[in-house]
Amino acid sequence: MNEKRNLVSAGADVAIRNKRYVIWFYLLNLIFAHFGASAFSDAAHALLDHSLNADKLLHGFNLGVFIELLARPEFGPLASSSAPAMIFAFLFFLASLLFMPGVLLGYASDHRISRDEFYRACGRNVWRFVRLFVFFTVIAGIVAGILSWGLNALVTAADKTSNERLPFFTQLLGTMVILVVLTIIRVWFDLAQTDVVLRDQSATRKSIAAGFRKLRRNFVRLVGSYLVIAIVALAVLVAGILLWHTIVPPSGVVGAFLIGQATLFLLLATRFWQRATAVAFYVKETAAPADEEVGSVPVFVASVVP
Amino acid sequence: MHLRSTVFVCLVAVGLGSSLWAQAGGLAIPATTSAINSATPLSQRVVAYDMDAKYNAKTHALDASETLTYHNLTGQALDTFPFHLYLNAFQPTSTWMREGKREGTRGQDFGTWDNKNFGSEEIKSLEVVGQGDFTSQLQFIHPDDANKDDRTVVQVHLPKPIAPGEYVQFKIKFHDQFPETLERTGWDREAVLGGQWFPKVGVWWHDAWNCHQFHAYTEFFADFGVYDVKLTVPQYEVVGASGVEVGSVNNPDGTKTVAYHGDDIHDFAWTASPHYLIYNDTFQSSMGPVALRLMMQPAHWGQAERHARIAKQTMERFDHWYGPYPYKTLTIVDPEPGSESYGMEYPTFITGGSDWLMPDGLLLPESVVEHEFGHQYWYGMVATNEFEDAWMDEGINQYTEAKIMDSIFGPSTSVLNLWGITAGERDEDRFMYEGVASLDPIAQDGWRYAHSHSYAGITYGKTALILLTLESVIGEDTMRQAMHTYFMRYRFTHPTKEDFLKTIEEVSGRDLRWYFNQAVYGTQVLDDEVLKMSSVPVDWYKENFKEKEGETEYVSNVWIHRKEDFIFPVDVEIKFDNGEKIREHWDGQGRWVRYSYQKKAKLESAEVDPDHKIQFDRNEFNNSKTMEANGAPARKLANYWTCIGQFFAQFLAWWLV
Repeated sequence: MNEKRNLVSAGADVAIRNKRYVIWFYLLNLIFAHFGASAFSDAAHALLDHSLNADKLLHGFNLGVFIELLARPEFGPLASSSAPAMIFAFLFFLASLLFMPGVLLGYASDHRISRDEFYRACGRNVWRFVRLFVFFTVIAGIVAGILSWGLNALVTAADKTSNERLPFFTQLLGTMVILVVLTIIRVWFDLAQTDVVLRDQSATRKSIAAGFRKLRRNFVRLVGSYLVIAIVALAVLVAGILLWHTIVPPSGVVGAFLIGQATLFLLLATRFWQRATAVAFYVKETAAPADEEVGSVPVFVASVVP
Repeated sequence: MHLRSTVFVCLVAVGLGSSLWAQAGGLAIPATTSAINSATPLSQRVVAYDMDAKYNAKTHALDASETLTYHNLTGQALDTFPFHLYLNAFQPTSTWMREGKREGTRGQDFGTWDNKNFGSEEIKSLEVVGQGDFTSQLQFIHPDDANKDDRTVVQVHLPKPIAPGEYVQFKIKFHDQFPETLERTGWDREAVLGGQWFPKVGVWWHDAWNCHQFHAYTEFFADFGVYDVKLTVPQYEVVGASGVEVGSVNNPDGTKTVAYHGDDIHDFAWTASPHYLIYNDTFQSSMGPVALRLMMQPAHWGQAERHARIAKQTMERFDHWYGPYPYKTLTIVDPEPGSESYGMEYPTFITGGSDWLMPDGLLLPESVVEHEFGHQYWYGMVATNEFEDAWMDEGINQYTEAKIMDSIFGPSTSVLNLWGITAGERDEDRFMYEGVASLDPIAQDGWRYAHSHSYAGITYGKTALILLTLESVIGEDTMRQAMHTYFMRYRFTHPTKEDFLKTIEEVSGRDLRWYFNQAVYGTQVLDDEVLKMSSVPVDWYKENFKEKEGETEYVSNVWIHRKEDFIFPVDVEIKFDNGEKIREHWDGQGRWVRYSYQKKAKLESAEVDPDHKIQFDRNEFNNSKTMEANGAPARKLANYWTCIGQFFAQFLAWWLV
């Protein structure tokens, strides 16, 4: 328990020490989302800016008026508003994939890495991360698919009983189990990513194997730490929504923006916290020779690259 | 006869109490009143159904005998009698199923055929008392289409016509197979809801039999009469039905027989489930007490009071506004979760619709109970032809639902008031209507709509909206008085659309044909807009001219445009930046009108229908225009959209990277 707390706090230390990464990623997230919302925003301004009917959306949120807005031909099909949001969300995912090696290197370093080091790590590892992403998607997809199939069967069976709550709680519990399993796979691949970056490992399958071994040996510590942070993320999300609902007046556009963004920033920070936890664990583990195989001492790329 | 059976018969006899019998030629329609708060019958009773049914809970099948006494009040001799066999609709080649495959039904798309969807209603034998057995001569007929495979209407031809004023008695044995619930009838898990389950004779209406096939989204039509029904079910079942319960006995074979009696009703539905919990309450109507029997799902027990409260609030308003509820009972069934039996009306018996997770601010149980109770008036008592005039039950009921829900919960929060998100009944009606506004007129056969969305949007949504808007023409109080007159005059009859429309004209003292021709009989659409507006300084041409607030004189123009073809007079409110407001009235006859003013103030805004009396204007965003842009509403929505986009992006990256 003490070790787990140490790992969580060690991760927090690393994430806070390198908070610039969260800030940059947050700004990227915000800018992309802003571009993604531009079509929606333009359509909304065109219909609402000069209409008194818009008051029903400003001073409160009349769902009927909102649906009417979306249904107006002038607003365009909803797909034309949602497609840019999807595209920019995908771009954020690509950016995360591209820049994460630099972040992991920064987290592992005991000094602030230079911009060159950051981008070099990103460049060296981009295809390795793509391969890891493919492996992750295949493994997580198969596992999630099987579990979802089993869950659907359970929910269907539960739905045939006369206990109305049973299908709901079966679904809820089953979804939580699937999320925990996906978290375990995520821990495994976070370790593999860390291994790829810190050992400059081009054979990603070896990093996947190394990640698996580390996860297996320290299962409770690692998964426990990730889950604790995930619970914090959930708490942040719930608190943000409650705060938004309770203190921001319906017409408080600025207040809603600030609370929404604070929540999303903290939400993003929790994911970086998890990654920092994985890196802190990895560095600590590999620094202990007894625990490592021969020839597996990590090569911190930032230190060796001239 | 066993002792139990003797007791049972006695109970039934006591239940019928003060029964009187109107007789002719040995046959009769009972003049009983034990199920109503009235000493005399309320309707001209045409039929008397006496049925004895045994339900097999394992096979979801039912075997029954039916004795139908029919009183020929048509004024002419009848030698053919058509019967509805609604359950035969749930077969792959029926008209109901074909239409469902083509246009969608209520809640089913039938991607693939599942044997659980199969339902049937088979007449094993049909005897006409005094004329013999006609089982082999029964003929399926198809009055609405050429579908020879549809078996929802069967006809019998009698060699000896039934003279005007005479009675005829049919003795029918039939077998039902219920489907897993479709169209509000059938089984779900261990529950069953028996609706449209017995051979039911058509209605002689406008000098012809009116007995339509069962269609994908039309309902029913039948004559008033008396129902005596004995239901035999396993003893563990909790049973509810139309009418009043007049007896219950346990049988030696593990079943029980529950008897019901109904007066002045035109249909009979029942339900059974081992899981219902009963909540009893009473409503004091102006004709006497009404026993409310709520049959709740165990997981919804905490909502029983919520259901009872809205039922009583609704009944109180109906009683006060439109007329009395004369029956002694109202059974409210909270059906199986996820079942297709939710939200349905049968005489003195309605189904609600809820979920164990039902926050107080989401008024779904309330709106369903209100709506289905409303059908006790607009269908139950004012028994319009639901096949041909679906709007007269669903639409008028949707209108009264808006009135009643708005009066209880407020116009903008009568559907939803949760976490700052609101919606009202009118929003719901507009949502249904807008997408199909010009597709179909209100006044047409229910099965002839373009598709199920048009049926719903026009019969429910448009009817409610045009009646709400009519209040702005004749006044809310006059409209209420017209509804009261219509109910009192036509209860326990089968009025036509013109009966309804003429009543409104009569009560209001207005010729409203200009409105009804467009709104009811036409497909005209209303969309008025503030086309443009401008304020130009009178002295704009002068050298060194500068605008000064309160001193500069402006010529201001406002253009109002009728974009669509519905002609309706409207008010227009024009506001100036010195606070002055001007009201104009436009008859809407032309395509556009321009209002011009010369004032020491500039235009601030213009609005068509500033009091928001018109409910069916297709686009309310263009009803007003402001000179200055206010970007706050769009920024608010864009902020929501941005946050959702950010969250989605983070979610994607969280799991995949």
